[in-house]
Amino acid sequence: MSQTKRHNDTQAHSLPAGSQSVSSTIELTPSQQQLLKKVRRPNGTEEPSEFERELLNMTESAKELGSEEDQNWSRPRIPAGFSSDTYDISFQQLDAEEYYSGDDTYARFFGVTEEGYSVLCNVTGFVHYFYVPVPKGFVQNQHLARFTSYLKENYDGVKDVGIKLKESIWGFNNNIKTQFFQVYVNNTKNITKIRGAFERGEVRFENLFPPQSVSFDNINYVLRLMIDCKITGMSWITLPKTTYQVVSPDISISTCQIECSIDYKDLISHAPEGEWLKMAPLRILSFDIECAGRKGIFPEAEHDSVIQIANVVSRYGESRPFVRNVFTVNTCSSIIGSQIFEHEKEGDMLTHWRDFVVQVDADVIIGYNTANFDIPYLLDRAKALGVNRFPYFGRLKTVRQEVKDSTFSSRAYGTRENKVVNIDGRMQLDLLQFIQREYKLRSYTLNSVSAHFLGEQKEDVQHSIITDLQNGTKETRRRLAVYCLKDAYLPLRLLDKLMCLVNYTEMARVTGVPFSYLLSRGQQIKVISQLFRKCLEEDIVIPNMKSEGTNEEYEGATVIEPSRGYYDVPIATLDFSSLYPSIMMAHNLCYTTLLNRQSIAAFNLTEDDYTKTPNGDYFIKDNKRQGILPTILNELLTARKKAKADLKKETDPFKRDVLNGRQLALKISANSVYGFTGATIGKLPCLQISSSVTAFGREMIEKTKNEVQEFYSKKNGHPYDAQVIYGDTDSVMVKFGYQDLETCMKLGEEAAKFVSTKFKKPINLEFEKVYFPYLLINKKRYAGLYWTRPDKFDKMDTKGIETVRRDNCRLVQNVITKVLEFILEDRDVEKACRFVKQTIADLLQNRIDLSQLVITKAYAKHEYAGKQAHVELAERMRKRDAGSAPALGDRVAYVIINSGSDKAYEKSEDPLYVLENSLPIDVKYYLDNQLTKPLERIFVPILGESKTKELLAGAHTRTIKLSAPKTGGLMRFATKTEVCVYCKTPLKADNHGALCPNCIREGRGPGLYGNALSQMNYLENKFSRLWTECQRCQGSLHQEVLCSNKDCPIFYMRKKAQKDVHQQSLEIVRWDQTIW
Amino acid sequence: MLEGKFDEATLLKKIVDSIKDCVKLCNFNCTEHGITVQAVDDSRVLLVSLLVGQTAFSEYRCDRDITLGIDLDSFSKIIKCGNNEDYLTILAEDSPDNVMTIFEDKKKERVSEYSLKLMNIDSEFLKIDDMEYDTVITMPSSEFAKIVRDLKNLSESLNIIVTKDSVKFSSEGESGSGSVVLKPYTDMDKPDESVNVHLDNPVDLTFGLKYLSDIIKATSLSGTITIKLADKTPALFEYKLDVGGYLRFYLAPKFDEDE
Repeated sequence: MSQTKRHNDTQAHSLPAGSQSVSSTIELTPSQQQLLKKVRRPNGTEEPSEFERELLNMTESAKELGSEEDQNWSRPRIPAGFSSDTYDISFQQLDAEEYYSGDDTYARFFGVTEEGYSVLCNVTGFVHYFYVPVPKGFVQNQHLARFTSYLKENYDGVKDVGIKLKESIWGFNNNIKTQFFQVYVNNTKNITKIRGAFERGEVRFENLFPPQSVSFDNINYVLRLMIDCKITGMSWITLPKTTYQVVSPDISISTCQIECSIDYKDLISHAPEGEWLKMAPLRILSFDIECAGRKGIFPEAEHDSVIQIANVVSRYGESRPFVRNVFTVNTCSSIIGSQIFEHEKEGDMLTHWRDFVVQVDADVIIGYNTANFDIPYLLDRAKALGVNRFPYFGRLKTVRQEVKDSTFSSRAYGTRENKVVNIDGRMQLDLLQFIQREYKLRSYTLNSVSAHFLGEQKEDVQHSIITDLQNGTKETRRRLAVYCLKDAYLPLRLLDKLMCLVNYTEMARVTGVPFSYLLSRGQQIKVISQLFRKCLEEDIVIPNMKSEGTNEEYEGATVIEPSRGYYDVPIATLDFSSLYPSIMMAHNLCYTTLLNRQSIAAFNLTEDDYTKTPNGDYFIKDNKRQGILPTILNELLTARKKAKADLKKETDPFKRDVLNGRQLALKISANSVYGFTGATIGKLPCLQISSSVTAFGREMIEKTKNEVQEFYSKKNGHPYDAQVIYGDTDSVMVKFGYQDLETCMKLGEEAAKFVSTKFKKPINLEFEKVYFPYLLINKKRYAGLYWTRPDKFDKMDTKGIETVRRDNCRLVQNVITKVLEFILEDRDVEKACRFVKQTIADLLQNRIDLSQLVITKAYAKHEYAGKQAHVELAERMRKRDAGSAPALGDRVAYVIINSGSDKAYEKSEDPLYVLENSLPIDVKYYLDNQLTKPLERIFVPILGESKTKELLAGAHTRTIKLSAPKTGGLMRFATKTEVCVYCKTPLKADNHGALCPNCIREGRGPGLYGNALSQMNYLENKFSRLWTECQRCQGSLHQEVLCSNKDCPIFYMRKKAQKDVHQQSLEIVRWDQTIW
Repeated sequence: MLEGKFDEATLLKKIVDSIKDCVKLCNFNCTEHGITVQAVDDSRVLLVSLLVGQTAFSEYRCDRDITLGIDLDSFSKIIKCGNNEDYLTILAEDSPDNVMTIFEDKKKERVSEYSLKLMNIDSEFLKIDDMEYDTVITMPSSEFAKIVRDLKNLSESLNIIVTKDSVKFSSEGESGSGSVVLKPYTDMDKPDESVNVHLDNPVDLTFGLKYLSDIIKATSLSGTITIKLADKTPALFEYKLDVGGYLRFYLAPKFDEDE
């Protein structure tokens, strides 16, 4: 039960100095006094909470190590003799942006050197360009000069025109390069115009140009520059001495320590290898704000003030943050280990905070939901208060921070509405957005996320209480500050734990896109960046295709029809490693190798020169031309192998993280290439490639099945006929027939090697694991124990079963998990049945904890075609309390109740509301709609139909409890008649006891009374344990629990236990009046 | 030991059919005076109160008070197995696990027996005390059923306004509105056809038609219905059983502002 750390008693008595004298003379309202009572111990002192101790530890360890001065904001000073004549500058660039000076475009890189100096580097001299094919009849010597001046005359911004020998990526051209114009243009606006003119055939130079044409290489300026200079995201750049010019401080535009300019030809870019895999000591600022909202209304910046801002700053690679502070409005008692900055006025606090951000000069700003809430709120609030100096905390002195709305839509991530704030030169990483992208969770609140990843619950103070705490004394504000500081610290810990920065850095390096693209853009840009880089090397140009968004579907992966059932013998699983990439490599599938009948005829190709794919497309073989996608894939996979090999050798934990992130990024990138060719709403869709890939995949699975069944058969002298019981996309499951694991593993290994020889390199079938026992329920639904060694199983593995799905309640998840454990691990089906019966009985008798019944669904858009439970509920909750109602994009939590309506969407209700009003749970819904199907799926293959029915509707379903209604128009007039505890007969009005005379006569009293007492004992015990648990979680055993954390199962348990105790005590009172 | 014999199976059939749509599970409390059921529908808006008096049975004995937890869906399936004119006997032990239903054909020598497993339903026993009503209307039950059925096509709620010389039922919906006005009327030949209004204070109340249409399922139990109304108070709809007993529905009116 314990999820929090135990108290460490040895350090329990370090009291914060400021908290000992509480002699405030402020007038308090009753509700504030009530709160203060909760906050303060009787003698007015307070025991430091767990988290406060943690803060103290940080200060102490900083002192012990004598490391840099703790709580010192500024960056290290630039050495006195610094000048461009003597120093090379090497910095890690974090962010790149384009800017205009007059009509010309330049790029800026922000970065940090290894010493921790901040750098702004202006890159000059690079002119954007694109390609168009040179038309027939155009002779370079004769026409080019005139054509150039024609373009310059008719279009703005043309700098120059050159002719290059290039080749289009689309289709195989017999390796012949043709002439292309390279048109240099000064800025984005003009380049779009000229490109359009070429495409529409408006360029009419001596009637040489066709009426319509294709332009090539359409990509934005920053990426173009980065590609041409071979700069990848987050890579290191060296500016050799004497090549760059330092901008003097009086005309500098930024707050960076070093501001300089360099011509793009002079800078040296380092590929992320060896030494240049390192990371600069980035400063990471994590912050959280608290607002004093009004009751029932979500804080609005026009009215509701910001009262506290907590900040934690750490340097990359250091385990403890070196700045911890809280900016408060009004006084606040001190918190040990962190600084408090008190302000009388809110405006002063905001200005002070702005100065703090600029001085601490964060490279990365993180937080939880900072992108959509905290930062926009601060900006709006500053506007409302008229603090004009506030919105300048970026690195560019004159650029104001502003909020923009953006809608991001991607097939992989769905549609999200976001706010975007430009904080020039500082990267933003909102942990909420990161986690929503990378992980599928039931709930994305900071509470549940930290519970999930850090194994820690945190106290959740409702926003209505925040205002009361703020209006209290400096002690109550201190409690709030601790809470706020913890909220600021948690994102930092999540960042470490999830290695967001490392993994995204490696992803940026591998794919070559700037870091910020990873959060703000989709999958495609990553592939495009890699494609352009490779094409540059091979003199290939990429057509600017209009995405038409056809809904052309092609056949996906194959699934071998499963032979459903429960297997009590080992099942070996053979997997194709990196199936799709290896198919593309083996068969040389690429844009550049694509053929059609005309080109086959035109180039006189014979059947030996090309491959016909199973779905009838043609690709040239690699002896004629090596495809560009296979080359990219090959590099990615080779790099991954290398990274994995390095990872094995590496001992330094930081370098290990980097390498691991790297190999992960490489794997993801390799797999996304296939998806890119199949994305019909993409930059460069080529269904011939993607459908050929899946067609090969299908063929291979079938072939594997046949080969294995053929070879391991009685005909070939094996004692059993092997059977492929299931196969999906890139794996097949084989039943060899042997009972023991070792033989099956050996055979699996052997079969994998044997089948691999039947396919072209580098396609490789691997033996990965054995399932034993194995429960195959349906396509993509199975469970089994996962063995890689014969002596002990690794884990229980389930696919597509309710243990992982999110649209079920936890009850289903828990029951299924337990049942599978009983069946697969203990091999005890009886036990599993008993457990199911007990659970169903508990459910019907209302003994299941509410948190187990909560269902969550993403509230994705306002308008659904049909009415949906969670949407209706969100609507109803908004009417009740707009502040706490779920917003678009949140996951809505609800339970299904009995409401008299048959429609499921009218039966959803907010769990908290249910708890408060003791509404009756629709147990039938949970039994029929939630539990039945998953349980049937598991038990029918094992027990058969009829026994499974018994399991779900047997004698244990005959006792039910209908919980007493407390609301409704009727209930005010109804009186409750007590019934006999045993036989349920209504009792006479003068009988206040627990039993009817008949049952007393029959001597049932003593036994039942004993039961009632022990039940009472049990409930009291349970409640006090839960209460203590919550006190532990909030970090102090001496304060009342304020928390109403909706994501915490203990919260519901505690509330329910509280009610059960109350009810049971009423029954005990009745026993007091019973005479026998 | 409980033993109750109905002269005709049809009575119990009608009773169960009248309530099984609003209440799925309920306790049948059996005492020496007869059988009572008190249950609330899922939405807690409608309370069903049934009394089948001892006189409704041709033979009845109940040695000690017992409670039968019955799943009405299953029970109604069993009761449908008998012919309307059959004798119907229900039998249960003193602490029963199941209840027996026995049908006896009056002409032929055919006896059929069914047993229903009982449920252990832990629910509270609710009662609405007798109270003063502003208005009491007695009218033919079929007349009331027709009004409810007709107006249900228009709207989800039914407004009842009683003034000193008329009763007005009306509904307003998106597609249109409708109303039925009844005046007190006495039919000497067929007293069941009379409309009787006893008025202390005028009332104006609105009810959910969804619930009313559950209530009128009891129409076949009695030729007349008595409706008792008072402001901001649950209305009482009562069907008297000729043989002794009643089926009452208490329905909370709709309030303008949802509490």
